[in-house]
Amino acid sequence: MDCQLDIFFLEAVLNGLLLAGLLALLALGLNLIFGVIDVVWICYAELVMIGMYGIYYAHKGGVPLLLAALFGILLVALAGAVLHQVVIRPVLDSAPINQLLVTGGVLFFLQAAATMAFGVDFRNLGIRFGSITLADMSFSYSRIITFGVALAAMLVLWLFLSRTYVGIAIRAIAQDRQIMPLMGVDQRRIYLITSAIGGGLAGLAAALMVLQYDIYPQIGLQFGPLIFMICVLGGLGSLIGGFVAAFIISEFIAIGGSCFATEWGYAIAFLFFMVVIFIRPQGLFGGRS
Amino acid sequence: MHRVIAKLSLSAFAGLLLGGAAIAQDFKIGNIYDQTGPFAAGGSKAASIGAKIAIDMINERGGVEGHKIIAINADAQSKVDVAINEAERLLNEQKVDLIMGVYSSAQCVPLAAKVDAAKKFFWVNVCVSSAVFKNKNLQYVFRANIHSDQYGEASCSFINEWAKSKFGKDPKDLKIAIIYEDGPYGVGVAQANEARCKEFGMQIVHKESYSATASDLSAMVSKLRRAQPDIILHTGYNPDITLFLRQAKEAGLKFQALIGHGAGYSQIDKLYETFKDDVNYLLDVDPVPAQLLDAKKLAPGLGDLTAEMVKRYKAETGANEVPPHTSMGFNQTWIFLTDVLPRAIKKYGGYDPEALRKAALDTDIPIGGTIQGYGVKFFPPGTPMAGQNERSIAVVMQFVDGKTKVVWPSAISTAEPIVPLPKGHAYAK
Repeated sequence: MDCQLDIFFLEAVLNGLLLAGLLALLALGLNLIFGVIDVVWICYAELVMIGMYGIYYAHKGGVPLLLAALFGILLVALAGAVLHQVVIRPVLDSAPINQLLVTGGVLFFLQAAATMAFGVDFRNLGIRFGSITLADMSFSYSRIITFGVALAAMLVLWLFLSRTYVGIAIRAIAQDRQIMPLMGVDQRRIYLITSAIGGGLAGLAAALMVLQYDIYPQIGLQFGPLIFMICVLGGLGSLIGGFVAAFIISEFIAIGGSCFATEWGYAIAFLFFMVVIFIRPQGLFGGRS
Repeated sequence: MHRVIAKLSLSAFAGLLLGGAAIAQDFKIGNIYDQTGPFAAGGSKAASIGAKIAIDMINERGGVEGHKIIAINADAQSKVDVAINEAERLLNEQKVDLIMGVYSSAQCVPLAAKVDAAKKFFWVNVCVSSAVFKNKNLQYVFRANIHSDQYGEASCSFINEWAKSKFGKDPKDLKIAIIYEDGPYGVGVAQANEARCKEFGMQIVHKESYSATASDLSAMVSKLRRAQPDIILHTGYNPDITLFLRQAKEAGLKFQALIGHGAGYSQIDKLYETFKDDVNYLLDVDPVPAQLLDAKKLAPGLGDLTAEMVKRYKAETGANEVPPHTSMGFNQTWIFLTDVLPRAIKKYGGYDPEALRKAALDTDIPIGGTIQGYGVKFFPPGTPMAGQNERSIAVVMQFVDGKTKVVWPSAISTAEPIVPLPKGHAYAK
């Protein structure tokens, strides 16, 4: 153990916070979809990958970065809606394991399709925003931007869900899927809108990730298990739970990595996850079903 | 009656001839590389293309002793279990005569033990972990390529050689950090790094492993900033190498030199695409890409062979740089098809695993006898590294303005190293 409580330790802790913003954003979309539609999109990180490729090719094709990012968000929002209509809707009444397997199939399909379409090379926009130095600590602007945008996205989503008719309908459906259609809420439309919003959030995450990570067909493997663990830890479907869990896991990774070794940070995070699930199988903020 | 007997005899003779021709059946190689997944772009695909070029060229020359070489290709998908399953399928269903290839050491270590236990033949082309052979006494597995201990030794020997004249310090005053992916490849190189650098008296100020698929390496970068190493020794694949270089720059990590050890560091055109001049002057240990050697120092004809390999690789991929992995795939395949296989057929009467094993153990190619400069002679059974080439050589290369130069060992170097990093460089101290 090499836990020195100095400026570099503090730097690692703050970098963990910045990473948490991205993970929380990724968990947000997955949780929203599960909370409303009650289906886990195992292929969620692969939608992010599609968004990253979309942004990459748009930008390389001459589209300014911000417009390319907007294109990526819309692309993945559309992909989310199509995924719901084509794949999820037919299995809405099937057993959860079948729904899981179907989205698992989409995961492998998207990975293989991306490999065929884009090749195996690691791609990168080559954009660097530099970093800011504070008291001998250094933080990249791309991470700070990611953190800020992720927090803003969560705030906007919360306002949308609490202040708009569609948002309130989404929350209502999430609370009672049987009664709300009887009260005039178009369940199909709400599911479609939720899928598009969930996809859009994946697209937003993609727009932020192209600033920090290489793009390749298997990038979903780098984040998919982590996002899923965060969602389960926070309580599947709980937006607040996913948000809190993202910060907990990120700090385990950062502090564990700082005091021990990077791979130990992940091991400790997963160990904590297992302990919590033993004690609270529904997750930290999940309601008992 | 005599005519009938004569006709029958002629028919029998003709049948014998035709039968004899039928005996010269195709020689089937089960080629396992990663065509998909992160290892594909890390060099596995480049190696598979090198191997394919060698097989094509041999077939264009009429095959080996009349046998056409057929490659049955399998995609390991950058996964250990897939590599093992594919090897079993190739051996048991496709009935290939041997397994060849394999990029990742994580695949190679279990696969070598499994194939050897089944008494089948495995000719290793790329993976470098010393653990494949060390104290295993494998009988049917051979590797002409270098092994991970040599990577570790090469980087530390290079530092030791240039410590005073370039870094301006005695080796014992140099601070070294070792970071590595946590698979057999990274662990093997890092162990050798630590042992060799300590032998020279250098200070190991930080040593840390991580998963190649880690989504964040910033905590490790912070610790490196705390340790303030002069030189970083890094062993990784992709995407971890690019993630590290990116986060290191953003965090303001400074050092005098960074020495990578193959894999992602050998894909210089890809690194340059991402980092531009930030990868200028970085160093890399690997078997030498054949095109960087002075052909006059090699056996006659090898220069032309290399030129043909480079020409075909560029035509197939459109790439400007030919990575070391292409040479590895080509060279090992070429050595097997031009040296081991003909001897197995002629001297040992065929190419079953026993004949191939005996023929491999007879291999005796002097230094300068292959396109990558090294000779080939395998450690015999009963020795700690049985099956490993005892004449393999690792080199240290440096990327200078988009070109790769050999900077160590001095006997075959093509340029003097530019260390420490010049002032103004993104990572310069």
